Amino acid sequence: MSNRRNILKGAAALGGLAAFAAGYAETTAKTLKGLSSGSAGKPPRGKVTGNAFDPEYRVDPKTGKLELNPDQQVSFTMCQGCNTMCGLRIRMDRKTGKVLRVAGNPYHPLSADRQIPYKTPVREALLSLTRKGDSGLPHRSTACGRGNAMLAQIDSPYRVLKCLKRAGPRGSGKWKTISFEKLVEEVCEGGDLFGEGHVEGLRAIRDLKTPLDPENPEYGPRANQLAVVHATGDGRNQFIKRFAFNCYGTRNYGHHGSYCGFAMRAGSGAVMGDFKKFAHGKPDFEFCEFAIFLGSAPGNAGKPFKRQGRMTAEARSGGKLKYVVVDPVLTNAASYAARDRDSWLPIRPGTDAALALAMIRWIIDNKRYDDKFLSAPGPAGAKAIGEQTWSNATHLVNIKTGAVLRGKDFGWQDGIEDEEKAKKAAKAFVVLDEDGNPAHFAKTPKAKLFFDGTVVTKAGPVQVKTAMQLLKEEAGRFTVKEYAQKCGVSPDRIVELAKEFTSHGKKAAINIHGGAMHSNGFYTAWAVLMLNALIGNWNWKGGVSPSGGAFPTFGKGPRYNFKKFPGKVKPKGVFLSRSKFPYKKTSEFKRRKAAGQSPYPTKAPWYPFSPPILTEYLTSHFDGYPYRIKALISFMANPLYGQAGLKTSIMAKMKDPKALGLFVAIDGFINETSALADYIVPDSVMYESWGWAKPWNGTVTRTSTARWPVLEPRQDKTAGGEPITMEMFFIAVGKRLGLPGFGDKVIRDSDGQWHPLNRPEDWYLRAGANCAFAGKPVPDASDDDIAVSGVSRIMKDLEKTLKPEEVRKVAYVYARGGRMEDYAKAYKGEQLTHAYRKPLRIYNEKVGRSVNTMTGKRFSGVPTWHEQQFADGTPIREVYPLSEWPMNAVAIKASLQSSYSMAAPRLRMIQPDNPLSIHPDDAARAGIRTGDRVRVVTPQGSAVGTALVRWGVAPGVVAIPHGFGHWELGARAHEIDGRATPANAALGRGVCLNDLGLHDVRRGGHATLGDWATGAAARQALPARLEKA
Amino acid sequence: MAATGSAAALAGPERHGGDAAQRFAMVIDLRKCIGCQACTVACSTENQIPIGKFRTIVSQYDVRDVKSGAVESFTLPRLCNHCDNPPCVPVCPVQATYQQKDGKVLIDADRCVGCGYCVEACPYDARFINPLTQTADKCTFCTHRVEAGLLPACVETCTGGARNFGDVKDPRSTVSKLLAEYKDEIKVLRPEMGTSPHVYYIGLDPRFEGRVQGQAALWAGAESEEEKS
Repeated sequence: MSNRRNILKGAAALGGLAAFAAGYAETTAKTLKGLSSGSAGKPPRGKVTGNAFDPEYRVDPKTGKLELNPDQQVSFTMCQGCNTMCGLRIRMDRKTGKVLRVAGNPYHPLSADRQIPYKTPVREALLSLTRKGDSGLPHRSTACGRGNAMLAQIDSPYRVLKCLKRAGPRGSGKWKTISFEKLVEEVCEGGDLFGEGHVEGLRAIRDLKTPLDPENPEYGPRANQLAVVHATGDGRNQFIKRFAFNCYGTRNYGHHGSYCGFAMRAGSGAVMGDFKKFAHGKPDFEFCEFAIFLGSAPGNAGKPFKRQGRMTAEARSGGKLKYVVVDPVLTNAASYAARDRDSWLPIRPGTDAALALAMIRWIIDNKRYDDKFLSAPGPAGAKAIGEQTWSNATHLVNIKTGAVLRGKDFGWQDGIEDEEKAKKAAKAFVVLDEDGNPAHFAKTPKAKLFFDGTVVTKAGPVQVKTAMQLLKEEAGRFTVKEYAQKCGVSPDRIVELAKEFTSHGKKAAINIHGGAMHSNGFYTAWAVLMLNALIGNWNWKGGVSPSGGAFPTFGKGPRYNFKKFPGKVKPKGVFLSRSKFPYKKTSEFKRRKAAGQSPYPTKAPWYPFSPPILTEYLTSHFDGYPYRIKALISFMANPLYGQAGLKTSIMAKMKDPKALGLFVAIDGFINETSALADYIVPDSVMYESWGWAKPWNGTVTRTSTARWPVLEPRQDKTAGGEPITMEMFFIAVGKRLGLPGFGDKVIRDSDGQWHPLNRPEDWYLRAGANCAFAGKPVPDASDDDIAVSGVSRIMKDLEKTLKPEEVRKVAYVYARGGRMEDYAKAYKGEQLTHAYRKPLRIYNEKVGRSVNTMTGKRFSGVPTWHEQQFADGTPIREVYPLSEWPMNAVAIKASLQSSYSMAAPRLRMIQPDNPLSIHPDDAARAGIRTGDRVRVVTPQGSAVGTALVRWGVAPGVVAIPHGFGHWELGARAHEIDGRATPANAALGRGVCLNDLGLHDVRRGGHATLGDWATGAAARQALPARLEKA
Repeated sequence: MAATGSAAALAGPERHGGDAAQRFAMVIDLRKCIGCQACTVACSTENQIPIGKFRTIVSQYDVRDVKSGAVESFTLPRLCNHCDNPPCVPVCPVQATYQQKDGKVLIDADRCVGCGYCVEACPYDARFINPLTQTADKCTFCTHRVEAGLLPACVETCTGGARNFGDVKDPRSTVSKLLAEYKDEIKVLRPEMGTSPHVYYIGLDPRFEGRVQGQAALWAGAESEEEKS
């Protein structure tokens, strides 16, 4: 090696070397004792193999004969160590019911390189993992470090196994156990439940007729005063969403997305024209040649964790991939061993949009965009050039109104007799053909990409620009050099990146995720993802792939229609988070107009293109805008820990029963939020529950992951003998309140017959039938499949619940841990089989026509540059200047810990703490050395942690890994029926970065700082300073 | 990788057990290691190692190119090297540590008195005294699984696909093919010790062959000095 490399101190973020050395150091003391007295320890099970488990099966590597271990069971189900929800194989001890170890499901694309063909018998699947012919190496199917360790959750001493009711002030940690039935009665009927006065129960709140606020009838009925919040898409979310929206009838259901990675999803939704599901894509890792990961880190964080890590590892060694990781903090995504295949490019926190816009500018100025793709104005144009989608780059935009020009502006519908055809003509987009004449987007193969001028419509001349023209002008507001100054990346490096990005045809991609969770998240993610559109890489091998999707389960499937049931409620009104509902249609707007006042600014933003966002639920309630709620049901959700700034903003209020009526938490553990509940309903955890999940994007084949109880749930049972679960709670509440959708005759089959929903199996097994029968139905499971996979454990439930012809097919799916399309179906020639066919938006009309209710100004309909700012547009650094707050605090994901994994001992032994990464220059200035205790101070929070001085962090940055600094989940003892629960202070080690989150001081009230456009939480680029503690 | 050096001079017990027609080894492609510690946790779980002790672990370093200033992350999975010339074997006063004919270096816990000589003799810090059994402990190449025709736990669950395991005496094995394909790039740890390790690395910077004076975990060890290169 020619270059000199300096191996750093401060290098290790993890404890490898020292951990080995610790074992070494200890031995000296043992030496004498051992020699004189012989070993005094507990003899291991095997004299050579120690306490290792017996193998789950044996195989003769020569003959391939497989012999199962009758004492153990291997089954395929789903992981829940993080949000990825990978397919796992669980190895259990049949006698004790203990899970011994987990690894990956070889049928599952989130766990295996190339999943084995779906038709493989289960016995052969097990064989594929062995040393026979070294088969187990290419067919390796894995669990990550966390996935391996999270089995500890099942028998965790911190687990909640019984229904709890608080026996002291809220948050006191004092509980008493009560029966499931009594709990359901109390939360439904209310009353003086705690000796603190009357509490309204769920029955009283469920009023679908009376407006909750007569002054503002559009807010909807009183039933909206129940908020139901959930953690994530874990395959059970459909059940809770159905309860909230369609059975109880509240508008207020929400999940953790807005404090997880919503900024990326919002930006992606803008470019993909999807503000409903917020579609997004991922690089097609296997064939990509050049990738830029901005605020995302394959193999270190982000979803799907394993798949991204594995595909990147393979592509940077065996494949052709070169990539750059742009991030204020170095992660494992940039591998030294892979040499020049990858590199880390540090950037100033919160400025990624400047880098992206500079690249956009350079690419447009130098005509390095995919002209053919962008000039195709519609489906016909796309088809002619072999594209599966097209963009609106050539479409004309009225610059005064922000509206996209349509046929009706030119009277194209005039004279068309057929009503449908006339409607279509009126709605058609308008482009300029190559001669400059207005033309129909679908009938023009190639249109003008840039135009700034006037067209004559029916209403007269109108100033228009093409979408591409708008993007060019917006990106052109600053020079590459000016953008470079903003983001701290040199202009040469920016040009280099842009050149390389546009040098691989379709086989390049850019990706962003958690790094965009700052106050300018939406426009950042949008600018970054716009780059994919500019090179037209969607749906191409090596470009960007949408998800391979899932098989139908809970929708309208081939066997059962879950979408319709008698009495189904359609929720009405305004979300607590003021999302989607047009402010212009509110009574407030009308009142203010009528009084001759400006309708702007509003007390808090109305988010025109956000889904219901949990970041604004609780704060809106405490601020009473738009309204207050009376009850909260949470399922595993933990906003007090997960949302930046929320703890300092509302925790005290949450403890006051007068400020929040009833709070019921459903959770297998007491987390930071459920600790403040009035009641806790226990639940199945990990491999004990039912569910159907779809894989994270980045999976190029269709997949439905089955979750099924491969072991007996540990928690208490209902009087009827069912394990107490989230599902049983809602079923019981539904039945007690007489809500639609529960009990007998609520699930309709394809023959029009009705079936019951009295236990979770009624729901999940029928969803399984939909999955099994979708398209070409799967074969019947063989006896051997059922026996080998352990599905025999649930066969009685299958037989009891399903139709005879469904039983074996559903068993086939469970035996394989889900239904998976074969890898062979991933590509069609040079394109991905599962393509995104809706048009991409260079200009987004929904955004461009919406008004920011804090300023009264229209949003920019193309990506543009903004500083980090408060919701009213005030730059954050104007309020918190660099002179007082010289650092930026940023969040990074620890590769091992998730937000709820701290209690797993085998994770904690490797990563027990989260030292704060600080650049050597900053450390020298402040006199800080590695190992020093330092205080990070932000405008609304402060925390003391241990300094780790390292080069792998940008100057001016203090980086804090997520997942630490818990004050619940076992970190403190509670008292149940007068007895202290187990607790371990080690679970509270480290710093919770969200304790440092900002409030939106310009908004006031309880608002936390969020992305000003969408309300996604801001946990990056926080003004901070460091002090020696 | 000849078996020469100081350790070779010491006499040890005859190799016993195992099939001499096989020689097990691991080839770790560091370019594929993502530092996820799946191996660490799987090993610990499979072998029921007391919490806080490790038969394998992935050390992690920031590496900075002094000239360009470029910094990248280096992750190094470590375990017993199952050396052909294992320094741990001859020092054992009770012959508890021994080598099988298939190359696996193992410990007979019935014989081990926990004196710790082997722990000190190992140049790789791969051994420790198990606080539960009070005997010397280390990676067995998951001999119980390998005997059953299965892969070691760490290999089975290696997320990036870095770890490969097999029989180097079988020319058709994956490890044999990798050793041939990367002939010029294969490195081992501490080659100067002459231990002839059978854990081979692809993508190992020679600077990491030795005992790296990196600063490891804050919570587990003390700070050490920066290596001057």
